[in-house]
Amino acid sequence: MNLKPYIAYARKSFLMRSAYRFDHIMQILSTCLQIFIYWEIYRSLYGSSIEVDGISFGMVTTNFVLSLGFSAGFYVNDFYLPQKIWDGSLVTELLRPISFRGRMLAENIGNGVFSMLFRFLPAFVIGVVLVGICPPESAAALGLFLVSAALGYGVLWTISFAVQMTAFWLVNIWSIVTIKNVCINILSGSMIPIWFMPEWLRNLIDFTPFSSIYFTPVQIYLGQLSGREIAGKCLLQVVWIVCMYGIGSVLWKRGQRKLVIHGG
Amino acid sequence: MQSDTIHLIGVYLKTTAKAWFQYRVDAIMRSLAVFLREATGVVVIYLTLMKFQDLNGWNVYEMLFLCSLLFLTYGILIIFFTGLRDFGNTVRKGEFDRYLLRPRGLLFQIIFVNADWFAAVGHGCLGISLFLVTAGKVGVVWNVGTVLYYLFAVLGGVLIQGAIFLLLAALNFYLLETDSLKELLYYDMKKFAAYPISIYSKVIQICMIYVIPFAFVNYFPAQFFLRKQDGAVYPFACLYLTPVVGGGVYLLAYLFWRYSIRYYKSSGN
Repeated sequence: MNLKPYIAYARKSFLMRSAYRFDHIMQILSTCLQIFIYWEIYRSLYGSSIEVDGISFGMVTTNFVLSLGFSAGFYVNDFYLPQKIWDGSLVTELLRPISFRGRMLAENIGNGVFSMLFRFLPAFVIGVVLVGICPPESAAALGLFLVSAALGYGVLWTISFAVQMTAFWLVNIWSIVTIKNVCINILSGSMIPIWFMPEWLRNLIDFTPFSSIYFTPVQIYLGQLSGREIAGKCLLQVVWIVCMYGIGSVLWKRGQRKLVIHGG
Repeated sequence: MQSDTIHLIGVYLKTTAKAWFQYRVDAIMRSLAVFLREATGVVVIYLTLMKFQDLNGWNVYEMLFLCSLLFLTYGILIIFFTGLRDFGNTVRKGEFDRYLLRPRGLLFQIIFVNADWFAAVGHGCLGISLFLVTAGKVGVVWNVGTVLYYLFAVLGGVLIQGAIFLLLAALNFYLLETDSLKELLYYDMKKFAAYPISIYSKVIQICMIYVIPFAFVNYFPAQFFLRKQDGAVYPFACLYLTPVVGGGVYLLAYLFWRYSIRYYKSSGN
């Protein structure tokens, strides 16, 4: 397979994103404010206690800096395919001698690299200076954390990929996308650490892909998992990526047969 | 005020509602999605307080009572101020020129020609349901005085947020793009307001009281009913000032708007 056109797409979307600088500064500020708000809330909640359920305040802070940082850095465009269905340009896309799904991924990687460099990194650095985080458990943990974070991004992207495919059947998927994002926000642990959720909810989350997005990398970073558990959790991340991509691809194949484009 | 103003307002409200609810299933789905999106914060507060019992002395019902004011005021606000929220777009597309040509006040038109009904239903329903669930549990004694206070507090809260929208709209005459500024001055400040301001550092408290007076939208009115300990550090009068602050900042924003409108340059062609 010739990768060249895909790399070109990735590069192009990276460059396109660099055009709006002011917007990025505001976004970084917004992420930092959010981290700061949660830090203030948990500082007040912890009061004088050092640990709650074996979780120290530093660990909570680390969870927020990393997962809120990642949610700013993990770029997903939920309307990539729907937009192309609405305006009819999907037809020309399908005629091109390259894989549309490949292009989708390539453009997303370009955007993702940009977001990681210019959204996650600044927010992360400011977060570390402002509220501080725990150091990684070990060098190995740091390495595995990075691998698991990449997989987490994969999970987030493939969920979006599968949801976008419903655009073949539904004219307006804004509501579904919004509801999907609500699930991610609550159940991924980026707004309330999964440690502090009630037992029944944690059991429920085990059956969903959401904790694989941010929480698994965070747990590895903090050294909360044993070697075997790390292997298991990362495998689970891969399983979710394969599952979600599989569902998305089945819908993609069926959707094309059903594709109706208005006008031309 | 012209004699048919009321009639005109009625027509406007009816047409916008019709336009927004043209596709019924989609409209219900969208309102539901807004409701759920906004409920995210509520669920997070609920789950957090199930674990920690209280936040600086506020229990879960008191916290949700605090939030209910935020959603209720936004639900009302957005029926009237959608035009100001989206004013940047109106200017950029050159649609403001059309308003200038019509024989009615500019602000009158902006306020009544559009209403984000999905947001109104989503936020409004959330605000009302939170109020119904919590009002009985936080020990509020309802009598003529407290009901009147509540109504005035909601009105004041709507005006405070309306003033922020009006200020940002007026800034559109000078700046090309105010969306990011709106994110910072309005939406980010609102995130702070979902929690009792007493938990924050001094700088943010001062900002919430004196600079962008979000504290008067929900914190002080909630304090009026709850009288939590953490409110003792603020001047007692703050509890009663919401309508005054609302009227005051709205007037200021209005004067700024009147002043700025002279600098309008059309982007149209």
